[in-house]
Amino acid sequence: MAVPLPEPEDTEMNMTPMIDIVFQLIIFFLLSLKFKTIDRRIESMLPKDRGLAPTPTFPEDFLKVKIKAFRRDMADKEKAYTMIKIDNEKKQYVLPKGWKGRLKESSDRIDAYDKVMNTLKSIVLKKLKAHGGSPEEVKGEIVAPPPKGGAVPHGDIVQILNVFLEVGMTDIVFEGAATPLTSSERAARAAGGS
Amino acid sequence: MAAKVITDTEDAKMNMTPMIDMTFLLVVFFMLTIDLSQKEFFPVDLPFATTGVEDKEEDDEVRRFVINLTGDGTVHFKSYEFNLASEDPGEQDDAIQALQDALRQVHSERGEILLREKDGASKVPVMIHADWGAKWKYVQWIMQACAHPDIKIYKLQFAVKKPPTEKGS
Repeated sequence: MAVPLPEPEDTEMNMTPMIDIVFQLIIFFLLSLKFKTIDRRIESMLPKDRGLAPTPTFPEDFLKVKIKAFRRDMADKEKAYTMIKIDNEKKQYVLPKGWKGRLKESSDRIDAYDKVMNTLKSIVLKKLKAHGGSPEEVKGEIVAPPPKGGAVPHGDIVQILNVFLEVGMTDIVFEGAATPLTSSERAARAAGGS
Repeated sequence: MAAKVITDTEDAKMNMTPMIDMTFLLVVFFMLTIDLSQKEFFPVDLPFATTGVEDKEEDDEVRRFVINLTGDGTVHFKSYEFNLASEDPGEQDDAIQALQDALRQVHSERGEILLREKDGASKVPVMIHADWGAKWKYVQWIMQACAHPDIKIYKLQFAVKKPPTEKGS
């Protein structure tokens, strides 16, 4: 007996699971989306021969420009500021107040930074001219002596480093805080003191 | 002329095709823009510098280590976290030793022989991705940890950003 076949139904693919998955993918990508935040870097090379050694002393006639930075702390951190001295000059330069990490960048603040850094740059250029050598031959020293130097914000030091690099000086020495004493060093010191 | 009278509710279906098209386009967009390597970077307020060079992709073999330093003195390296801002010098020293251990361990996991120059110096650069407001002495301590005689990482990179006043920013 012939069985009549049913008429073909309007079969449609069930799209729901696919749409579910696709939406989940979108949510994943949305949550993990993070636009590139760094676009630049300053390349540097630590000295292989004296990584942990105390600061080397250079001969007096050695060509160098020294920039000394220290922090004036205030009870209100937003009023703290960094002071800068070049070589043995009496004049001090004050960087904009505040703890940069907690302040939004305002154009006034950036202008204030630019003003100080441009002044530093012109002074360093004058010194380079007086030295007479090429900038690569002149050593730059960034000195942040403890305890007040250690509290100078990283961003301020990068700004000073940037001044040296802008004028073509590439041999930069950082002088600053030693690491805290190790437990054995502390024990030895305590034993020596008792 | 007799108007058409709809008596039965028709099986009205929404046309899903444009929505699916758009959804796929969104998926493709996110797949192309996602950069999982950025996961290594903690959200910090980077200092700006005009002399910074463009941060380009590097050789996978010597893929750099990224050490994050937040404004409060906390170091984030891989899954490790160290607090350099303790009041106690002993705890600070412990944190530095722990950072050195972590550097040593992660470096050895990547293959000591392949990643060393003939003089023992590491080929792997370290990027210091530090907040503008982080104390400079903590950055120095990180540099000293990298240059430790057991670790010998001398190639450093400071993460910076384009100055806001510079053209094109």
